[in-house]
Amino acid sequence: MDPQMTTRDELWSDLLRRALAGDGPCYARFLHEATPVIRKIARARCTVEAEVEDIVQEVLLAVHAKRHTWRSDQPVSPWLYAIARYKAADAARRRRVAVPIEDVVETLEDEAAGDVTAARDLARLLDGIDPRAAGIVRAVGVEGESAGEVGARLGMSEGAVRVAYHRAMTKLRRMAEAEDD
Amino acid sequence: MTEKTTTDDLIAKLSAEPAPAPTASPEAMLLRRMALGFGGTLVLFFTLLGPRPQLGLAMTDPVVLAKTALPFVLALLALPLALNAARPAAPRGWQAQAIWVLPMAALSLFMLAYATHAPADRLRLFVGHSIPVCMPAIVTLSLPVTAALISILRRGAPLNPPVCGALAGLVAGGLATTVYSTFCTEDSPLFYSVWYSLGIAMAAGVGAWAGRRWLTW
Repeated sequence: MDPQMTTRDELWSDLLRRALAGDGPCYARFLHEATPVIRKIARARCTVEAEVEDIVQEVLLAVHAKRHTWRSDQPVSPWLYAIARYKAADAARRRRVAVPIEDVVETLEDEAAGDVTAARDLARLLDGIDPRAAGIVRAVGVEGESAGEVGARLGMSEGAVRVAYHRAMTKLRRMAEAEDD
Repeated sequence: MTEKTTTDDLIAKLSAEPAPAPTASPEAMLLRRMALGFGGTLVLFFTLLGPRPQLGLAMTDPVVLAKTALPFVLALLALPLALNAARPAAPRGWQAQAIWVLPMAALSLFMLAYATHAPADRLRLFVGHSIPVCMPAIVTLSLPVTAALISILRRGAPLNPPVCGALAGLVAGGLATTVYSTFCTEDSPLFYSVWYSLGIAMAAGVGAWAGRRWLTW
């Protein structure tokens, strides 16, 4: 390696420049060197450690799919970080919305099995969020009403009920995690 | 550490394909798509409106020429901004400052016309006779170019899709207004610097909406 290429950005720029010209080993090395940085960014946006690696891989796929958007006369690090931040935030957001439904199923199963602790925990957690949201969680998650029924009762659209429900479940999950820690 | 291995596997798979396709970048399709979009605008224009009589003669007046030239320059400056907005961390370029000259020029023309007309004429010129044609026409004429640009910018990676889309809408609105101005006979800046600007703003709004819808990745 040229001794003048002291900084990391110069090295990475050189690697990606060669990669874009068709050099596979340089591309592999660029992606390997970028991965720890991407992992750090992913970890900052996702508290669930098990999901961090999924997000890292999503970012790597995005970097790959958008590698032609780097201008080779520009430093590569700001470009890489921008993509990583955008994609990691996006992936973390999608996971926050997608996860709670399974959480509810668990809660319901727990209750069906007569696990008093879980039911009591849920009741206590529900006291910690605002009453309207708690009402929606009780109606949808515990009583089993449909979002449409709850919406009709509260004067909200079905979609608004779903959104409020997901937000509340996310909050509850965080509260539960905070207690576990 | 099974997760570690899958990430390594992914890297191995990705590095088998280091060079992007030569047509991958937004700029690669720029000319062809823009020609298509602008062609669509021209077809709409000649079908629905058509140029005013004695267009060449009218254009000899610099104030009339300005209503065609200013939106065209706006489109020229907004285009690189839109393309840069689709490249993460790309510097915005001198156009980001230069583009402000255009609203300032429109405002100056408006004030000059305001100062040089009798109070009775100002309102008449400002309201004109074609507001209900002008703004819908500008927005309609802008749509083919907006569609063309959005289809190009999808190949990029805009970090702020609505802003990138709005810049595309600005290009389209500028070009649409350039074309529309050759039909319109309202030659006072009291009319065009207000209503053309609003039409362009609406085109940018359409672009922002389209950006939110189609430029997220």
